[in-house]
Amino acid sequence: MPLERVIGAGETLVSEQDLLVRERRAFLERNRHQAWKIGVLQVGLFAAFLFVWWFASGRLVDRLFVSDPVAVTRTLYAVVVDGTLWWHLQRTLIEMALGYVAGVSIGVTLAVVVTSLPWGQSVVRPLMLGLFAVPKVSLAPVVIVWLGIYLAPKIVLSASLVLFIVYFNTVAGIVSVNQEIQGVLRVMGASRFSILTKLTLPHAAPYIFTAMRITVPGALIGAIIGEFLSANRGIGFFIAAASSRYDTARVFAGIVSLLVFVLLLNAAIARLERYVARWRPAHERAEG
Amino acid sequence: MADAPFLQAQNIYKVFIARGGQARLALRNVDLTVRRGEFLCLIGPSGCGKSTVLNMFAGLVAPSDGVIRHDGRMIVDVNTQVGYVTQDDNLLPWRTVLANVELALECKGVAPDERRSRAVDYLTRVGLRGYEGLYPHELSGGMRKRVSIVRTLVDDSVDVILMDEPFGPLDAQTRLILQDELLRLWQGTGRTIVFVTHDLVEAIALSDRIAIFTSVPGAIKDVREVNLPRPRDVFHIHETPGFSEIYDRIWNDLREEILKTRADNAA
Repeated sequence: MPLERVIGAGETLVSEQDLLVRERRAFLERNRHQAWKIGVLQVGLFAAFLFVWWFASGRLVDRLFVSDPVAVTRTLYAVVVDGTLWWHLQRTLIEMALGYVAGVSIGVTLAVVVTSLPWGQSVVRPLMLGLFAVPKVSLAPVVIVWLGIYLAPKIVLSASLVLFIVYFNTVAGIVSVNQEIQGVLRVMGASRFSILTKLTLPHAAPYIFTAMRITVPGALIGAIIGEFLSANRGIGFFIAAASSRYDTARVFAGIVSLLVFVLLLNAAIARLERYVARWRPAHERAEG
Repeated sequence: MADAPFLQAQNIYKVFIARGGQARLALRNVDLTVRRGEFLCLIGPSGCGKSTVLNMFAGLVAPSDGVIRHDGRMIVDVNTQVGYVTQDDNLLPWRTVLANVELALECKGVAPDERRSRAVDYLTRVGLRGYEGLYPHELSGGMRKRVSIVRTLVDDSVDVILMDEPFGPLDAQTRLILQDELLRLWQGTGRTIVFVTHDLVEAIALSDRIAIFTSVPGAIKDVREVNLPRPRDVFHIHETPGFSEIYDRIWNDLREEILKTRADNAA
């Protein structure tokens, strides 16, 4: 039933239906504009960065040190086309994936076990904080001595940069569970396992996902450090070998490929996170 | 049989250790008997320990001294024969309305089909048919509270429902509507309700008896019968003959304790 009202002397009547349609259209238009502007600014910033790089190279800084965007693009194109990059990336990807999965699962499992023990958290905390504070890079040579030069040391280094952050975040999620809801569930007859699966883990999920997102670069860094020190394949090896030949363009080509790779991974995890968090109000969901 | 003790608190004392480390008496010799099938309200000044007594019936808090009994059994651990409705709705935000209502049945191992049909039946009774697939944050406060009550009532293996100021956070109109719905849901089921409130009108509108707590350390000051006929009209309860006598009598008890609490807090 369109309720009509006079909006001014001599003007036409506006129906509520028209008003709703008009406002909705304006809203969508504003949104589209916003997205478009952000896109332009993102590209602009990137272009400015490339320009400064290109301009400085050979004028302000020795080309040997920074190469330039054109040479890097050319090299990148060459190694993509001849398959070299993919061949190395594959290895790094495997190491990183295994390290990441190991780090996340050990971190979460440890957090669940420790928090389920009486005083577990208080007893374990100093040790975990101590281990967390150890610079893993300084351990890398020893890890290679222990585990050889194949995949294992890279996986361990990669996992070690994931595990602690996942552990601490998961613990924070678990201990912040509302005690009253837990009481209600116990009265309902829920077992400890039911409380874990129905309450504790779903509650801790956003904490775990946050840790999973911020540790993706860590997993990659672990694998790359391992490859720097001893490897015959992998992006870390690719960069180290180029660096030892002063082939800066190749070094940067390797770094750019890592950058793109991390951005893609991050987007994939954000998508997964949005799916898992679909019950949350829109403003609480993850961006990007 | 109706007057036989069903839920009992016998000589209950509770000591809480405050943050500074000093021990404080919260409950002093609480003696309370709930009859099978009755609607009992606990009323008293804030901080008098009414909720603690409720938590003891649920087996979530142990008395420092004294005994809790439910249908003859001594309660020494979590009491899964009761349902518990808290002041906050405490729904699981990642579960839909339907899945929230099924929660207790899930914990008790009821088969999925039966779970669903019972949950839907109860949701229909409180006018939430069609909202099954929504998440709690998509509902109004009153609707969430309905879900919270229904998820407790849906488990028919419990014969006692404990309610801790369930309507406290709601606006006045929603409150009345929910009081009315609660009475309809409860009437004729034979279930026992212990309901904590600090709203005297609410207590009179709902209950068969009202237990009045003293100021802290809490004890039972008096237990009064509310012999208003049922079914009751909560919207016009204050016009019901007999209402003002009951109200005045209990308010006299209560006022003393509230003034004492205020004096204690000021000191």
